[in-house]
Amino acid sequence: MFDAVLENLPYLLGGFLTNVKLAVFALAGGLFLGTLVGLGRISKRPWVYYPVTLYVNFLRNIPLILVIFWFYFVMPILVGKNLDPFVSAAVSFIVFEATYFGEIFRAGFQSISKDLVSAAYSTGLNFRQTATYILVPIAFRRMLPSMITQSIITFQDTSLAYVIGLAEMVRRTTIVDSIEVRSIQLYSFVAILFFIICFIGSRISLHYEEKSRKAKVL
Amino acid sequence: MIEIKNVSKWFGDFQVLVDIDEVVQRGQKVVICGPSGSGKSTLLRCINGLEPYQKGEIVVDGVSLSDPKTNLYKLREKIGMVFQRFELYPHMTVLRNITLAPIKVRKKSRPQAEKKAMELLERVGIPDKAGAYPANLSGGQQQRVAIARALAMEPACMMFDEPTSALDPEMIQEVLEVMIGLAKEGMTMLVVTHEMGFAREVADEIIFMDAGRIVERGRGDEFFKNPKSQRTKDFLGQILK
Repeated sequence: MFDAVLENLPYLLGGFLTNVKLAVFALAGGLFLGTLVGLGRISKRPWVYYPVTLYVNFLRNIPLILVIFWFYFVMPILVGKNLDPFVSAAVSFIVFEATYFGEIFRAGFQSISKDLVSAAYSTGLNFRQTATYILVPIAFRRMLPSMITQSIITFQDTSLAYVIGLAEMVRRTTIVDSIEVRSIQLYSFVAILFFIICFIGSRISLHYEEKSRKAKVL
Repeated sequence: MIEIKNVSKWFGDFQVLVDIDEVVQRGQKVVICGPSGSGKSTLLRCINGLEPYQKGEIVVDGVSLSDPKTNLYKLREKIGMVFQRFELYPHMTVLRNITLAPIKVRKKSRPQAEKKAMELLERVGIPDKAGAYPANLSGGQQQRVAIARALAMEPACMMFDEPTSALDPEMIQEVLEVMIGLAKEGMTMLVVTHEMGFAREVADEIIFMDAGRIVERGRGDEFFKNPKSQRTKDFLGQILK
């Protein structure tokens, strides 16, 4: 009953690989930029805080699909040449996901009590030592479940890149479907594949959440 | 040891400390009491350089906190501080909590720091908890670990910010006993507390603060028997009930 899928399996899985690659770029870049965004959001310097906050609030209030479109059509004007859909999608994802990761970082850091930081300072630890041994490890433990959840969402969202013609799995499925006309089995296969990956991810997230809760770090 | 000269502090328009003057000599024990919001904790935080103040001067061991050249991190090594809610590092064992600063700040070797930490845990009565995480300790035990952590830096003075107010009644005594022990060994202490039994037993001086001012100060028993201001009388009447 999965004949159309089996016949086109290498082609479809090749598309899936594109989703994975896009997710890896989006997450690596998003986490890196997101850390900076998070730091900007807790900054006491107004010239850092306000621009970063504007960026975060702006992007969090528009749908990702528009960001993808916008980048794809605006970037050629700015750079002067057409961008590869993969590069364009990767950049849009990084810029978009960084705002979400940034907010997760911010919440993680702000959840640490002022007195805990004072306690570290009062033993003579300096800012760098306090950040290294106290702030970052605790914030990271608290952020881990939300970070995994956001990563799952990012992975699902990579399929949106089909709108700019990126040959990822959903795009390839529509192509195969237009030839084979086996919509139900083809799209079911895509759904199952996404489900398996994301379900495993959410179990991992749950595991860390439980672990932190038991250690009362949350 | 600690000189506070005419210190004032504002949070925006609100003045939290009003012209505070106080001298704490080496070996002296000073208890600060007063209603919440009277500026007691803020005063301790200012002495440790955790909060800035806008007027006056604080001098610790001959070093002025107002001097921009003063290394606050260095200064804080001299003053140990214990907080109301213990503030142990939740992701570290008790032993790591105590040895972190001696290893990172004092550059002690791990065995050396751990030996010292075990001695301190012995002293606060919970050497068997060295490998436990803070979440698995009672409040009283956590606070005793917090005291050991502060003592591990061999401070010249210890400050306590309401160390027993977050504790269940049956745990207050075990923490107070550790503090009384410290006092008897001659530690310089600045204690914000409403434990008047403790104040009577160890305090060389008791300060009553209200609305950011020192309203009254006195020596042990005298302070309780003959409070001069009406505000102090009302306050004592309420907490000694």
